[in-house]
Amino acid sequence: MRADKIFSMARREYLARVRSKAFIVTTLLLPAMFAIYAVVFPAMTRADVDEVRLTIVDAGTGIGATVASRLEAEEAVPFVVEQVLQVATADLEEARADLSQSIRERQIDGYLVLQADPETLARSQYYARETGNIIIVETIGGAVEAGILESWFDGDALERLRRVQRSRMQTITVSASGEEAGGFLVAYASTFVLGMLLYMTVLMYGQQMAMAIVEEKSSRLVELVIGAVTSTEYMIGKVLGVLATGLTQLGIWLLMVAVMILGILPALAIGTAMADFDLAGALDVRTLAYFSIFFFLGYLMYATVFAAIGATCDSVQELQQAMLPAIMPVILAFMSMFYIMTNPSSFAAKALSFFPYFTPLTMFARVNVSQPPLWEVWLSIVVLLATAAATIWAAGKIFHATILFHGKRPGLGELFRMVRAAS
Amino acid sequence: MERPLALRCRGLTKSFNGTKAVDALDLSVPERTIFGLLGPNGSGKTTTIRIVLGIFARDAGEVTTLGIDDALAVRDRLGYLPEERGLYPKMKVGEQLAFLGSIRGLSRRDAKQRAERWLGRLGLAERARSETNELSKGMQQKVQFAAAVIHEPELLVLDEPFTGLDPINTRLLKELILEQRDRGATVVLSTHRMDQVETMCESICLIHEGRDVLAGPLSEVKAAYGKSSVQLEYDGPPGALAALEGVREVRDSGRAASLLLEKGADSQRLLRQLIERVTVRSFVLAEPSVEDIFLDKVGYVPGLATHPPVAPGADVLLAEESPA
Repeated sequence: MRADKIFSMARREYLARVRSKAFIVTTLLLPAMFAIYAVVFPAMTRADVDEVRLTIVDAGTGIGATVASRLEAEEAVPFVVEQVLQVATADLEEARADLSQSIRERQIDGYLVLQADPETLARSQYYARETGNIIIVETIGGAVEAGILESWFDGDALERLRRVQRSRMQTITVSASGEEAGGFLVAYASTFVLGMLLYMTVLMYGQQMAMAIVEEKSSRLVELVIGAVTSTEYMIGKVLGVLATGLTQLGIWLLMVAVMILGILPALAIGTAMADFDLAGALDVRTLAYFSIFFFLGYLMYATVFAAIGATCDSVQELQQAMLPAIMPVILAFMSMFYIMTNPSSFAAKALSFFPYFTPLTMFARVNVSQPPLWEVWLSIVVLLATAAATIWAAGKIFHATILFHGKRPGLGELFRMVRAAS
Repeated sequence: MERPLALRCRGLTKSFNGTKAVDALDLSVPERTIFGLLGPNGSGKTTTIRIVLGIFARDAGEVTTLGIDDALAVRDRLGYLPEERGLYPKMKVGEQLAFLGSIRGLSRRDAKQRAERWLGRLGLAERARSETNELSKGMQQKVQFAAAVIHEPELLVLDEPFTGLDPINTRLLKELILEQRDRGATVVLSTHRMDQVETMCESICLIHEGRDVLAGPLSEVKAAYGKSSVQLEYDGPPGALAALEGVREVRDSGRAASLLLEKGADSQRLLRQLIERVTVRSFVLAEPSVEDIFLDKVGYVPGLATHPPVAPGADVLLAEESPA
């Protein structure tokens, strides 16, 4: 094996892919779709909300006026409170009949009934032509709650109450190396995001690579190249070139996400929902170091299997069938990752994290969510390393034995013989 | 005087799934010559080529490529134009050629300069920035040839370089191949075009069913056959050439025929027989053509398509029936 040959192959693969229209389009399209989903849709919904003309029916609670002023001060939805009706409980049904008629005649959009209640002060009902808009419904509910609290507590107590409501319990993970704030939410989120990254890279780019190999095989391009480079150099060059492409694309996306989180989101109201999310805490050195190990070994292991499968196929249709058994472990590993995130110390989680074709995702999830003993982590890495090396070796043999041959796909028995026939 | 050999095989053997593709093959290719590697389809030529280029490992025998027994170690000094070949369809022609040079060990800058020069040579300078799939088949074939020689290999293996080329490009390619030899390269030409072998190759080896059935300098090979063939041009009814005395085989093309004589046959008696049956326009007593020798050696039976027992080797997938 010669590094310069592998580099030449990887470089060509990388440049061809990065310059392709497909790469540029997907690189821009995915964030654009995300942006539409996360920014443009909510903004449009907000801008799109027409005035909501309301009548408030206060049946003996006394908070009707407070609720009205709160709603009118609301920025997210332009409420117009037409009037606050004070009615006796006995007259409520009659008032409701009139107001419902007004809704049907489109004089108002809805009305809010506040009925006196001995335990909660007010029971509220919102009658409207349209009750599906979550923002409107939540805002009105919030205003009612605020009205009740304001009438129950005086200024000082109210202020203290609000502070209690805002404060959240913190979680701190205690490990051998110290204590770390953030805890479950952060670990869960980062495990999910990074696991997803590995999963997507393997499935998306690994399959693209296998497809490219089939195309180069059926167009007999391989014949022109093999000889100058060995089949192993060709395979590894391909795997690395595609990996570099994937990392470039992911890098661009992460950069965009970072810019969005740090720059754009706080400017919009959405930022507040993520204020608690400690980005630096989620992406600490330990997480990233383990992620790099599991990502690299996992990708190499899966990608070379895909490459070997590509080498046995003559057409893309054939490839799609042949890929299924190889994709299944990746999907299963990804699914079991969710189980492990919630039960990181169970026996099943431990067992799953030592099965080498699952390890990249499952052990990473354990490492990130809980604190498995160090020897367990490193044992799984050693097992993974050995399995990856054996897989690459066997895949190389199959690749070499099939890449220049056309016709019927070899069966499992034949593949086994190819691997055994050391040459 | 014995010339040093660019390529030497002794007892080369290779099987695929128990079928011998190459069977105890001997091959000696003298340096700085054009060497014809002949044989019917499926005779083991491609497998032999792949072994001497280091693509396949052999089962048994000796191989010396450019003086050493490790083709991979000298692969940057080898050039190869495979019979079935493709190019990256979406890659720009110039980049493609430079890439193919760089995997043969040229530096990127050197590869780029040489690619430009070659495209100029082939009249494709203006297409350097086109995508390869915009080129005609003939143009692509010229690019593939350039890719095989861009790094100035010492040993150049060309497998059917002429297929699909028009007469103009055939002539151009022939010139380019001769130029490679004049530069000092050894050229192994595997082809079914017997006229090309006749005019270009100094020595040949004929492979049949994995064995070398005939080898040596073309002049010696022909001399060994003697003036045992008659090139006849005639006018006459069909079947007029049947059952001629002293003739063991007739290859009749309608108005011309090639007659292979039996050992010790009397050519004058043959001529008298012919004059009785047909109008003889031309009767030339000659050495057999390469085509005659080829057909003779592989046991061609007129009117009957024969194939080697099982197509052995690289042109077939090794899987027959999967046991799984």
